[in-house]
Amino acid sequence: MHQVYAQGDVVYAKSRPSLLAFSKATRRRYVLFVLLVAPAFLLRLTTAAYPILQTIYLSFTNLDLIKNTNAFVGLQNYVSMPNDYGVRGALYFTIMFVAASTVLELVVGMLVALLLNASFRGVTFARTINLIPWAIPTIVAGYAFRWLLDDQFGLIPYWIHQITGVSPVIFISPSSARLAVILVHVWKDAPFIAVVLLAGLQGVPLDVYDAAKVDGANVWQRFWRITIPLVMPLTVTMGLFRLVWSLASFDLVYGLTFGGPGVATSVLALQVFREGILFFKFGFASAISVILLILVGIIGVIGLWLFRRVEVVY
Amino acid sequence: MSRLRMARPWSSVRNNGAVYLGFLLFTLIVLLPVYWMVRSSLSAGSDLIQLPLIYFPRPTQQNFKTLIEQVPFFQYIRNSLTFALATTLVTLVVSYLAAYAFARIQFPGSGVLMWILVLSMALPDVGTIVPLYRILSRLHLLDTIAGITLVLSSTLTPFTVWVLVSFIKQVPYEIEEAAIIDGASLRQILGHILLPVTMPGLVTMGLINFINAWNNLLYPLSFTTSPSSKTLSVSITEVFAGYSPWGKPWELIMAVGVTMTIPVVILILFSQRAVVRGLTGGAIK
Repeated sequence: MHQVYAQGDVVYAKSRPSLLAFSKATRRRYVLFVLLVAPAFLLRLTTAAYPILQTIYLSFTNLDLIKNTNAFVGLQNYVSMPNDYGVRGALYFTIMFVAASTVLELVVGMLVALLLNASFRGVTFARTINLIPWAIPTIVAGYAFRWLLDDQFGLIPYWIHQITGVSPVIFISPSSARLAVILVHVWKDAPFIAVVLLAGLQGVPLDVYDAAKVDGANVWQRFWRITIPLVMPLTVTMGLFRLVWSLASFDLVYGLTFGGPGVATSVLALQVFREGILFFKFGFASAISVILLILVGIIGVIGLWLFRRVEVVY
Repeated sequence: MSRLRMARPWSSVRNNGAVYLGFLLFTLIVLLPVYWMVRSSLSAGSDLIQLPLIYFPRPTQQNFKTLIEQVPFFQYIRNSLTFALATTLVTLVVSYLAAYAFARIQFPGSGVLMWILVLSMALPDVGTIVPLYRILSRLHLLDTIAGITLVLSSTLTPFTVWVLVSFIKQVPYEIEEAAIIDGASLRQILGHILLPVTMPGLVTMGLINFINAWNNLLYPLSFTTSPSSKTLSVSITEVFAGYSPWGKPWELIMAVGVTMTIPVVILILFSQRAVVRGLTGGAIK
């Protein structure tokens, strides 16, 4: 069955046309398609595809606006990277940050989703305020928490002091600064995960639970064997997008710690920004970008593999 | 037993202690930072460095007045609004056209093209700032709102296309079919017949894109340098870089923060459902 509708300058096909039927109508459909997608592809080609290729090229040069150098240096940027204090610290913390915050966000997100899925007075209010952390500009959240955690006049250290008598100085030690960055990221992102999980929870057919109940499955079994597998596909997809975006974002660290103390909380994205936009070391910054790109690629492949494993049909 | 019932939206769990405790804790954790920010923005600078801490200060507008006097505050607000609205509009138009093509015109390879476009959202935006800096400079778009609008619209397009395709696919084809038989042109179909029924999707993505653009830091920070194009997100980093006699001017930083937070929170309060629909990729209908 091959239906083609043609009228005026519009030509449509409802079903897949065969390649052999390359009629005038089919050709016009291709032209129409190309015209409609052209703006989007043009935008992506000029501001994403071409720049990424250029980044890869630049990573093999020592382009530097301050030193005024611009020569092809092969792998030199990559070879020098393991000795670069900033990149080494940033790579280490990027991986730690992404792994820890992903796990925590899934756990906290699930708890929040279960809360938002319960029926109680105030659930609409809870669902509404849930999105506030997601909507607040990341840079603002960064500064707000830096102030909340301020060692002299921050509310949270003040409370800790009142309860325990100890005055914590959060941003001076690498471990507590790292913990702070991870927890603030969870505060900012868990609501998003919760929204996605909630959508999954609401899509779980109730008769599946009833059937399991009849078969004698207890609450925990139903949760782990039914709820979790059924919300998995959506979670993995959206979690992946989120993960990739948070890998590339530096707003939170920029506001909260600016990578400090030292480079303990620096991430690769911040390092790219520092070397490229602040110090104009375009070649070196590009090489760090490529490392980031590879990291995204690895996570993407793991994600796709996970996605194929968790796909459930019900 | 509550866990099982939670999976059932309309079950009869009421006044469950654990749920309310969780609700209380949740509300506190979500709203405390927001309250603290508002409280600090309405405090006199000297009240912020009092011990014991003042939970409910005497509110003052002084910080906002100081901002208006010392930085081109209204100009920054205007720039942020222009940037966010322009980005939203460009992204929606570009994405709507592409989404229509992907949803309605299928041929071998069109699906692959769509996935190439959608997956390009995984490219880390920070990884392209160096070449983009050079491209914008060559186009004389460096330090202009048009320049940052162009690059951010591009970044937001893949996700918008992805969500809009699923919205358009939900619209029965018969509506357009009837219009085509009646002799409607492409412009009439896109503008009059499909637009009203796709409106929920466009509103959803419009809201999400507006919030994303309003909140964006990377592009304005990298590509704008003068007051005529800097946004509030750049402004807050500059206020933070300043010093007052008693350290960081937290009352001013928080005042800019509150100014940046008010519009997005208002949007969320009035359109929570629409935003959620988009965040889940159209999974909730």
